[in-house]
Amino acid sequence: MTMAEQRILSPAKPEAGRLRTALKLLWADKPATVAAVFLLVIVLCAVFGPMLLEQVSSRQNLRGRNAPPFDLAKGWLLILGGDQLGRPLLARIVVAASNTMAIAAGAVLASMLIGSALGLCAGYSRGRAGDLIPRLADVIMSFPSLLLAVIVLYMLEPSVGNIILVLAITRIPVYLRTTRAEVLEVRERMFVQAALVMGASTPRIIFRHIMPMILPTILTIATLDFAFVMLAESSLSFLGIGIQPPEVTWGLMVAQGRPYLTTAWWLSFWPGLVIILTTLSLNLLSNWMRIALDPTQRWRLEMGGRKNV
Amino acid sequence: MNYRTHLLCGVALLACAAPAFAAETDVIIALNEELEVVEPCMASQSNIGRVLLQNISETMTELNTDNGNLMPRLAESWEDVGGGTWRFHLRDGVTFSDGSTLDAGDIKHSVERTLSPDLTCEIGAKYFGGMTITPTVVDDLTIDITSDPAQPILPLLLSTLTVVPAETPIEFTREPVGTGPYVLSEWNIGQSIILDRRDDYWGEQPAVTKATYLFRSDDAVRAAMVATGEADISPLISQNDATNAETDFSYPNSETTYLRIDSNIAPLNDVRVRQALNLAVDREAFLGTLIPADAQIATHMTVPTTLGAGAALEVPAYDPEGAKALLEEARADGVPVDTEILLLGRLGNFPNVTEVMEALQQMFTDGGFNIKLQMVEVAEWVKYYSKPFAAGETPAMVQAMHDNNRGDPVFSMFFKYACEGLQSGICDAELDADIAAATGTAGEGRGAAWEKAFAKAHDLSADVFLFHMVGFSRVSERLDFTPTIATNSELQLSQIKFK
Amino acid sequence: MQKFLARRAVSSAISLVLLVIAVFFLSRLTGDPTDLYLPVDASAEARENFRQIHGLNDPLYVQFGHYMLDLVQLDFGDSIRRARPALEVVTEAFVWTLQLAAITMVGVTFAAIVLGSLAAFRVGGLFDRVATFFSLIGASAPDFWIAIVAIVVFAVGFGWLPTSGTGTVWHWILPVSVLFIRPFGLILQVVRGSMITALSSAYVKTARAKGVAPRATIFVHALRNAMLPVITVIGDQAAGMLNGAVVVETIFGFPGVGKLMIDSILQRDFAVVLASIMVTAFAIFLMNILIDLAYGALDPRIRY
Repeated sequence: MTMAEQRILSPAKPEAGRLRTALKLLWADKPATVAAVFLLVIVLCAVFGPMLLEQVSSRQNLRGRNAPPFDLAKGWLLILGGDQLGRPLLARIVVAASNTMAIAAGAVLASMLIGSALGLCAGYSRGRAGDLIPRLADVIMSFPSLLLAVIVLYMLEPSVGNIILVLAITRIPVYLRTTRAEVLEVRERMFVQAALVMGASTPRIIFRHIMPMILPTILTIATLDFAFVMLAESSLSFLGIGIQPPEVTWGLMVAQGRPYLTTAWWLSFWPGLVIILTTLSLNLLSNWMRIALDPTQRWRLEMGGRKNV
Repeated sequence: MNYRTHLLCGVALLACAAPAFAAETDVIIALNEELEVVEPCMASQSNIGRVLLQNISETMTELNTDNGNLMPRLAESWEDVGGGTWRFHLRDGVTFSDGSTLDAGDIKHSVERTLSPDLTCEIGAKYFGGMTITPTVVDDLTIDITSDPAQPILPLLLSTLTVVPAETPIEFTREPVGTGPYVLSEWNIGQSIILDRRDDYWGEQPAVTKATYLFRSDDAVRAAMVATGEADISPLISQNDATNAETDFSYPNSETTYLRIDSNIAPLNDVRVRQALNLAVDREAFLGTLIPADAQIATHMTVPTTLGAGAALEVPAYDPEGAKALLEEARADGVPVDTEILLLGRLGNFPNVTEVMEALQQMFTDGGFNIKLQMVEVAEWVKYYSKPFAAGETPAMVQAMHDNNRGDPVFSMFFKYACEGLQSGICDAELDADIAAATGTAGEGRGAAWEKAFAKAHDLSADVFLFHMVGFSRVSERLDFTPTIATNSELQLSQIKFK
Repeated sequence: MQKFLARRAVSSAISLVLLVIAVFFLSRLTGDPTDLYLPVDASAEARENFRQIHGLNDPLYVQFGHYMLDLVQLDFGDSIRRARPALEVVTEAFVWTLQLAAITMVGVTFAAIVLGSLAAFRVGGLFDRVATFFSLIGASAPDFWIAIVAIVVFAVGFGWLPTSGTGTVWHWILPVSVLFIRPFGLILQVVRGSMITALSSAYVKTARAKGVAPRATIFVHALRNAMLPVITVIGDQAAGMLNGAVVVETIFGFPGVGKLMIDSILQRDFAVVLASIMVTAFAIFLMNILIDLAYGALDPRIRY
């Protein structure tokens, strides 16, 4: 299993063979291939968008506000329509990808790493830590995220970094509790017990035996959390305690388009659609990954792959 | 078993049919905010005022917002007896909803209660700050009210003061008793408030027999409720939802939007820089786009119907090149015009406020300024708006919306322009003198005195004025009711008729 | 079991106290309610007087001492805004939230477990793809979109349901449906994921190969094993809902604790903020204890 993991997770390695296997496995799952391409586009937007389109995306035109979509007469940038200040929505979505991805990826990764590490400790340890850490999760869970946001952003600037901080803290308990629950179960399984009897070290048991078992669940939650974090950031903006203009994120665009939902639907529809598509793609890709990583499941892809090549 | 099923069905049917039994003369009103308290001395808060003011609790005098005249309500007449004292003659035969009769003792108690330090009443803090008010009962229906320092507009101030019976304790009441045509009959916290018409009201019987107030904070939902017949009036809907000419009315809401310039800090202490800021704003471009087309470009802190604010002052022309030229001129004299200026907006202050601020930022940038926009929630905004200004040594402009629906600029000018004024970004000896003079002037000359103060503030380019705003109401077609400038602070059920 | 409950009761109580301390001091870092309560033109004396009445002039630790002393006598303080006991304000709102959360979560749990396991049974099949697609869209669509579109369609367009508010059974349909969508999508995905793992794990395969058990038994057996992460996520979603569904409560005019909490936070009405956190935290802690008991019931190997 760990072999397979290395093979898939490091396709950038010079060994062309491994990369080809990975790509072949991906090609076998058509929806996952589309998803991967879409995500690649989003990442490219996030990296190069601000450089290329910053100027165009912030140029306002009050008299041409809320321009309807699919009107090529005004140039390709306005194909998705104009926003409430007459800025081209397409350009804004591209530019906003950068902040959005930074916030979503930052918050999800941070909460996932911290949460599952704490969860591992809590689940594996039979001592005090096993008792105390879940209570920490209780406290965070009952601390309203809105209050946390108000506190952090009242004292610090509403910057990307601080939004990540707020969102990461509030999402820690999910990972912590899920990991702990899984570990509680897995550590009682025969093979872990066997490893223990054979004198395997604790890190070895955790990383070689327990981690691979709980990773799929954590990844499922993390990909869904991506959407959650983007939308949570949107509601923070809406309540006035998130990212504020002139900064822009998809969530902020969705929130700002809300009053126009019945009169100019495209203002919040397009950024919302991008959020949905991103989540969908991440999920398709993660579903593919769990199959590709699981030796007992991989035949599904290999079979399909052979048929298609 | 069987008859029980029938009974259940019957009950269910009744429950469903209940709305159909509602009288033709009942109305349902959808408000944007829940009432946190139903205390008459808080009625200057618009959400409370819309339910209580003149419906449950009445005042001695009443401002006619059409012409700025003062009308009698619980007081039939009043006169200045000198020495800062005014004498009020009360209407005879007025009863409270608890059955007791209104007399001068009730007025005395109402004044003392509203101003009591044990009860932080908004009406007291908002309209009677910085003065001592002493009520003296002359006889059952006559009362003397003395203010120190003397107030030429004391009768106007009393149009804000709600009257309660002498028995009302000095704590927030949950069962408001008043002399108005309606009585609070139900308060289902978080859901609804119901007012029923009284039979023993002293004045003319209004047409509405029962009013139910519902609370929905979402703009689109409030508008939809009138469309579906779930409500008859939504006093506040968003301009984006005001799409039906048959039911949607705009009305001036007595609010004025502006940017307060902190003119004590360089480069904003240079009048040319402030003029340039004014030239950089394309006010016309906002009208009909982000701001409703019916809004009016402002040149005064208060709406034109206010005393002394009717005179025309010049609207700064949109001239970004002129702005740049003025900045260059200032730069040549060593003014640090490239310093970053903080532009502070208050989130949710009025519809589209964020977009308006983004557009302003761009306009200022096009006019040659270095502007940083920051949108903050109200608790943080207050710190920038009121002294000591939180911006400190940073040059800043604070977006604000000021409401003066009382007909006299005294409620605005000292706070916004005097050196000691809590929200004043300017300190000018001449302007101070003008404000003090106008405040103390009674009678005919008062309007002219205020005109002078307004003109002085305008000459100093003390602010970037934006608009006298309008609000939108949606009114069911079965009602005969047109919202006015007063709708922002009160909603008199007696003005609602049926078609 | 009793020992476990006793231990959990004590540690939960400690968590609650820590939470109160954290919220008390942190929330007071966010400013003074005086500026928000009084009109901007209020005089310095009025402000001073207000602070005096509400004890805002005392040093923080003194305020905290007073608060804790009152608290042990079950006095949660008064709401500054509402001039009523904070606990009364919060319990009124919490009852609404509790009903909304309970109805929604029961429905979500049933629907997600049934449909999620069905999807896992034939991975990559038509049903799996359709279920995954729609649940993911549900989980990632902004809820106010769904809420407003639902109102526009079902209340304004067809006139089948009331737009908002409370009163009859009909009033509950739209808010519950809107609230249903996101946790449903999320939980369905987790059920599907962990069912796939459980169905392919060695012992289920062995059982299948041996042919000792009929399909249904295997299914139930796998489900039982797949439930641990599912219960955790259900708990997480339920906790989120107990903290209030701000958007749904706001749009549909539901007087729940979510709207109350955000209003109180923005108004710096600290007594209400603290009381609502304590009430919801109590409910969440209780739920977490139940969840841990459920772990034990599902998997006898887990001991506490």
